[in-house]
Amino acid sequence: MNGKTKDIIGLLARLAVGGVFIYAGLLKALAPAEEFGYAIESYKVLNSQFSLWAAYLTPWIELWTGLLLVLGVFTRLNSLFTGAMLLFFEAMLGQAWLRGLPITSCGCFGSGHGNSITREFIQNLVFIALAWVSYKYGSAWSADKKVETL
Amino acid sequence: MIDRKNARLLAFAGMVIFISTIAVLMARQLNLVPERPSPDFRTFGPRSAAVQIYEYTDFACPACRQAAGKIDEMMKIYGPNLRVSFKHYPLMNIHPWSLQAAAYADCAGEQGKFKEYGALLFENQEKWAQAKEKPVQFQAYAVQLGLDWPKMQACGDSQETIRRVKLDAAEGDMKGVNATPTFFVNGKRAVGSGQLLDQARKFDNLLRAAKP
Repeated sequence: MNGKTKDIIGLLARLAVGGVFIYAGLLKALAPAEEFGYAIESYKVLNSQFSLWAAYLTPWIELWTGLLLVLGVFTRLNSLFTGAMLLFFEAMLGQAWLRGLPITSCGCFGSGHGNSITREFIQNLVFIALAWVSYKYGSAWSADKKVETL
Repeated sequence: MIDRKNARLLAFAGMVIFISTIAVLMARQLNLVPERPSPDFRTFGPRSAAVQIYEYTDFACPACRQAAGKIDEMMKIYGPNLRVSFKHYPLMNIHPWSLQAAAYADCAGEQGKFKEYGALLFENQEKWAQAKEKPVQFQAYAVQLGLDWPKMQACGDSQETIRRVKLDAAEGDMKGVNATPTFFVNGKRAVGSGQLLDQARKFDNLLRAAKP
């Protein structure tokens, strides 16, 4: 695989992961935090108060990280961070799956989207792989590169 | 020391974060976010109606009682051109039983009598709104309407029902609702029945367009 192909694949991976984070963050930031808070509560890891705080914070982090990743700002660091977030989400989904918790909406894309935990788990694995590709090859056509030429 | 390149990137990142935050907050306040649908039993009028009203209401609020009358009149006059969806916005700091009233009204709605139960709550506000103990009226109105009270009681106490009411209130908070009744007439905000009528007049042509 030559350098150009790697750059294109890296860019596409960066846009895919960043785009999904923007979409997920926006959907939740434009809905009442309580809605996402209830979804977090159903994972039975945090109590209702902490779930609500997490629901206030998470959508903004997703939105900002997604935007910065799409624009290629601190691309490698951002790819690592999104990858870590995805791993954390995966752990949450995994423990719910293992414990057989009756989760009707994972909360990943707001309450309107009700994919099964299994589907979300597999989908997340794909995005973790894409975050890794973005980390490895995602620096082309980025703000990082643009700043170097200024 | 941060080098020149990283300083530029940090400044750019700060700008992106600032602009995106302001854009989302503005979208919330300017009501650019689509309304979450109300349950069917709290929605009246055809889906295709030209004018869609969302009303944030509190059964213990006197102005909401007055507005309920206006809404009923408008529905009679404009019929199929108007769709009204009710959202709960219980002002729990001044009306101690509003949350329960809203929950029971929803439970009555599940048995097909949201409007009738709500009408009784509005008509008799002064009897239950400031009660010291849980108002007996909640049960009395259910019995009066021939509703299954044990079922309603279980429903009214359930977490799911309380959450649904609280979600409506949270949505109202997000849209900057801080008084009842607040209406969104095709997305335009109106507070109180006076402003509601003013807003409705702006859509008069739409309201009358398909009038038989």
